[in-house]
Amino acid sequence: MVSTILPQFPKFQVNVSLFHDVQNSEDIRLQVAELPFAFVDASVIVSQEQLFAAVYRVLTDLTYNKLRTKTIHSECLLALSPTSNIGEAFNRFGIQQGSTDLVVLQIVEVGQESTESANDIVKGTEVEFNNDNLLHTYNEQTLRKIYKLDNSFQPKTTEGFSQALVNAIQLRGL
Amino acid sequence: MSQKIVDKVSEYLTSNIPIKLISQGAEAVVFTTNVHPYLPKDQIGDDSDVQYIIKYRPPKEYRHPDIDKSLTKHRTLSETRILAKLYQIKDIHVPKIIASDVFNGCIWLEFLGEELPNNAGFSNLKHFLWMYNKDGANAYDPIVLRTLYEVGRQVGLLHWNDYCHGDLTTSNIVLVRDIHNENSWQPHLIDFGLGSISSMVEDKGVDLYVLERAILSTHSAYAERYNKAIIEGFSSVYKNEGEAGLKKLNELLNRFEEVRLRGRKRSMIG
Repeated sequence: MVSTILPQFPKFQVNVSLFHDVQNSEDIRLQVAELPFAFVDASVIVSQEQLFAAVYRVLTDLTYNKLRTKTIHSECLLALSPTSNIGEAFNRFGIQQGSTDLVVLQIVEVGQESTESANDIVKGTEVEFNNDNLLHTYNEQTLRKIYKLDNSFQPKTTEGFSQALVNAIQLRGL
Repeated sequence: MSQKIVDKVSEYLTSNIPIKLISQGAEAVVFTTNVHPYLPKDQIGDDSDVQYIIKYRPPKEYRHPDIDKSLTKHRTLSETRILAKLYQIKDIHVPKIIASDVFNGCIWLEFLGEELPNNAGFSNLKHFLWMYNKDGANAYDPIVLRTLYEVGRQVGLLHWNDYCHGDLTTSNIVLVRDIHNENSWQPHLIDFGLGSISSMVEDKGVDLYVLERAILSTHSAYAERYNKAIIEGFSSVYKNEGEAGLKKLNELLNRFEEVRLRGRKRSMIG
């Protein structure tokens, strides 16, 4: 698990875990509304940068603007999306029936850490949440479609690709 | 520099983000920092002198707070949007956006450029040209002319894609040294605070004119040759686009000539 605090938002702790070979995605999906986590399908996460850019967006919206969804964790899914359609964001970024690779994200207030851990819920193999481990699970074609990237945009590196997603995340709905 | 602005931005960024002022304009102040806004520290690598740019638009006290908020939001957003669009255009070089908080008028950008050798200053086009022409001997060094050609190409690509910079000066062009060849510099356009999407020849002509004037005023003895190299690079982009490109290029260069004769501002008479 990667546990971090964004320097500008010291009141919040951000925990991220990555799971491969998840067995119980259907069970999780059914109770997703009650669980204090954001479950993101790893096939739409390219890099740490993409995920944390969305977290930054959530915390700025929470602090200086307002949340568009009911909880901070559902807001994370919206923040990943390039459009402001909440249902669409859930469908594209949220856990799916057949999801086998999951990014589990949690934002908690410092001092109010929950005892529940992602490990208690997800039945799968936990691997470190880093760019190398994301490399094999993301789907570029799906991402191109979701983020409406033009075919003329052909970055040379994964970082170059990830940057376009960061741009879209910063600009959504503004 | 008003201490008030620094206090304001420090309060917003919190004490976790140390900042160093590097530039102040009419609209925004620019700082550097070594703290990334959201990536975990241990993931960035051991490069301890990595830097990021923070561009902050402080509230203006002479404006009504509501209007101020909306203007700041508008301008920050427009700059971010243009940078995001330009990022996806092949061969155009602009700084990458790290974060953008439009509610507080704050943009985080990739840091570009370096300190030039022998205390020649930061590697923007102005200092770069000074470095080469200060004793006259190397003013027309092939490296200089090639770099200016590349500058022209960047502006050409920008205009061909119907974007205008709005404040194209020699300090707003940052040169980044090629990692494989220390004598090769890639110009990056920065500061799109006055940038716009425009298909108007007038705006583009003015862009070229402003750049020509900037070169003329700081490097007057060499300006003619320098500007020629820039226009050559600029034209090469359009010439690559066949018949349509040539037509647009002609139209543009004619307008540039017109702007040069009358100055940046159009006459209000007639």
